[in-house]
Amino acid sequence: MRDVIVVGAGAGGPVVAKELAAKGLDVLVLEAGPRHADPRAEWTSFENDANNPLTGFLRLGPTDRTRPAWFRELPQNSFVWQVSGVGGTTQHFYGNYPRPYPGVFDDYTGPDAAAYDIQHRFPFGFRELLPYLEWVEATAPVATAAMGHKEQTFFRGCESLGLPVQTTKTTREASYRPQQNAVLQPHGTAGRSADTDLLHYPRATGCTFCGYCFQGCMRPVGAPRNQYAKRSTDNSYVPMALTADAWARGGKPSTLITDAYVTRIHAETRNGKLTASGVTWKDNTTETEHREDARVVVLAGGCVENPRLWLNSGLPNPNDWVGRGVTDHFLDWVVGVFDDPVGNPKGVGSAARADFPSKGGLENVGVPPALHAFAMNFSDSGIHGHYANGRGPVGPWDGPAGRLTGPMLKDLMSGRLENLLSVVVLTDDDVQPENRVVRSGLPLGDEHGPVPKVQMWGRKRTRRTLENREFLARRAAEVIRGAGAKRVYRIDWAPLLLHIQSSMRMGGSERDSVLDSDAQSRAVRGLYIADTSALANALGGPNPTLTTQALATRTAEKIFAEHFGGDPWVYADNPVVSTDPRITVRLGQLGL
Amino acid sequence: MDEARTWDRRGFLTRIGLFGAAGAGGLLAAPAAAAPREPIEDVVGLLRPVLDELARDTMTGLSVFVCPGPDAHSVAQGTRRSEPGAVEAGTPRFLLDALNKFMPLPDELLRPAVAALVTALSDAGVHLPILDGLPNVVATLDKALAKLLQNNATVPLPVVAAALLNLVATGVKPAAVAGPLGSPFSRLSFAEKATVFSVIEAPLPDLVAVLDVHLPQPLKASLSGLLKFLGGALLEFAAFGSYSEFAVFDPVRRKLIARPVGWTLSGYQPDGPVEGWDEFLGYYQGRQEVRG
Repeated sequence: MRDVIVVGAGAGGPVVAKELAAKGLDVLVLEAGPRHADPRAEWTSFENDANNPLTGFLRLGPTDRTRPAWFRELPQNSFVWQVSGVGGTTQHFYGNYPRPYPGVFDDYTGPDAAAYDIQHRFPFGFRELLPYLEWVEATAPVATAAMGHKEQTFFRGCESLGLPVQTTKTTREASYRPQQNAVLQPHGTAGRSADTDLLHYPRATGCTFCGYCFQGCMRPVGAPRNQYAKRSTDNSYVPMALTADAWARGGKPSTLITDAYVTRIHAETRNGKLTASGVTWKDNTTETEHREDARVVVLAGGCVENPRLWLNSGLPNPNDWVGRGVTDHFLDWVVGVFDDPVGNPKGVGSAARADFPSKGGLENVGVPPALHAFAMNFSDSGIHGHYANGRGPVGPWDGPAGRLTGPMLKDLMSGRLENLLSVVVLTDDDVQPENRVVRSGLPLGDEHGPVPKVQMWGRKRTRRTLENREFLARRAAEVIRGAGAKRVYRIDWAPLLLHIQSSMRMGGSERDSVLDSDAQSRAVRGLYIADTSALANALGGPNPTLTTQALATRTAEKIFAEHFGGDPWVYADNPVVSTDPRITVRLGQLGL
Repeated sequence: MDEARTWDRRGFLTRIGLFGAAGAGGLLAAPAAAAPREPIEDVVGLLRPVLDELARDTMTGLSVFVCPGPDAHSVAQGTRRSEPGAVEAGTPRFLLDALNKFMPLPDELLRPAVAALVTALSDAGVHLPILDGLPNVVATLDKALAKLLQNNATVPLPVVAAALLNLVATGVKPAAVAGPLGSPFSRLSFAEKATVFSVIEAPLPDLVAVLDVHLPQPLKASLSGLLKFLGGALLEFAAFGSYSEFAVFDPVRRKLIARPVGWTLSGYQPDGPVEGWDEFLGYYQGRQEVRG
């Protein structure tokens, strides 16, 4: 019997594994997708090879790319951009680690307290989470982002609005700033040369400004795995979990098994309480089933998979909140066309942001051409100039919102990719029970059982959510225009689930939450959740990785205290940074 | 098959493009259709490539809608461009690959879908140009289609997507059932194609409402939801494929064999793939660290 089984090696699971491995526990991590052990031999930086949701190496599917991707039913115009494999969606993320807004926690008493989703606040205070945020910031590590031309352009737009600059990590007013990101800063030749021959580690360290964040980070060339610039968990927390004995006194390396799809959580009654006892998983390659038992099971398969696994396992769902309350920041996309190049898509995917507490935020985004074309064709407002699909909001952008396609898309892209500045709207959206993950009724069950169905209302959001989104879209257009864009277009995205939160939410009330304030299931003891699905709400709009990892760190402490009689450590110890040379050396010894 | 139902079925087969495609492919002139010995089995064998070609042509019409170029389909929609477009970028094949790999539609869903599409046609009251065609040809094609569906646990999604686009296309422009190119959708102008998507995307289109009538719970709304998803995804995928390296990527060597059309169109990476850029401009206001 293991001490702990962690299901999923994405943004959150490896955090629990690393923290508990450091305490000497026997931790097994099961990941349904691949581990890309040698990205230089397995990856490219081409968009279709990397990001095709059906065949790309960063898709939701098994290691063998000739086999089908895993299907999710989407009964509306929408898309859920999931990634399986070690690192999960952090493999394609931009490394942004903003702190959550204090207003989403239950100790907030600011004058705008009522302006947040007050029905679904975190069941503890921001002050309690703060040491965990700092712990993760030191581990990743998080720093102030370097600036390229697209950031310089974004800042120019923010300056034109008269917004103040935020010079703290915690956001307390409407403001703009460079991102706090988990990307190693450029040193040596990195960021200072485009000559491939000069961009090898260690001559170049940190971010080389290649612009391939969404295709996975494997730079600088020749760097050890834990020295790759972007701190996706395959580069940060997973190497730490696998080398825990090298950097933690009494540490025990975690065991990682990939292509191991967990199909069932087992529970039994102990001392009158239903208690998790283990999992069954299926080997994607051999299709053999395996069972492992553990004292504690930690679910970290993501906002879509966790409810599916829960329901397929027949676990209790007494208040019917399993899978409910999905938040997605109701993203939108606004793009400006400039006369001169503005650096798209070079550099980190997004290194600048503006925040509007109680409403959400904005961040600049740079992506290569196929993703840009995708982004400009993903709309709930029809096709620009032809039909608006009953929407087509107007504002400080040109014409009604809608897709840019056909000749218009071509004209926009024509030799001008570097002249486009795009801004993503991150809405502080309310928890709504109707936005949910259920089991699909389609006779399309895959080899792992009935598939999940993700129901997201694109239009029937709460009034606060809709007003927040409109406010932010307007600010985005004003920023872009203020920066000098000649034309500005709003796409009005249909639900694009890139940030997915709160489908197994923790909460203060038993009526509308799955988890208690320790992230332990109310219905099944010894069963915890440690990814974005455990979040109580949308955090106010900030990107969810930092908060998820801070919460997972706190959850690891709770597990250690309740089930293994240990003491908490975050208040007493100093964190080890994930680039620590002891990790590098041990990875080399292990051939990892 | 009574006369009224024959005409309904002929209309349906015509509107999804099958009747025209079968005629163009010589299927209707085949002995099997006129004086069949084993009519159904023969026609089923002949029908498969006809369906594939219908899907390919329809996806070509869709591809150039998103990224027009100098090709015949772009000319047909009235948006000829001198620079390369989706055809040169391999987008039709990209879409067919994607749809084939996305999801096979199970026949449990497809059979009621076909019934629903026929009902939609009957209820829509669209007047189609009078076509020559003996009722027995319609019946043969219809039976062959049914047999093909029956013999396969799944129907390729490209065929379903093409049927949807063509069915709606002939509602937008009935005369599109005949003409040059291989599918009704491809015969539309750019503006008419946009109208097709407006019909598919409409919040509560009559077509979609009818589709769900034939489905039991818990599938109710699943088919209409899938079609709404498809309506968006077809455009998004066509855009992604057109501007990606799909057509010129060697998966074995993991290298490009030519410069992708989308890169040329957008000016992306003029000198090819890079390891980095000399793009670092320092730190905003010189601030490298913040606290608190």
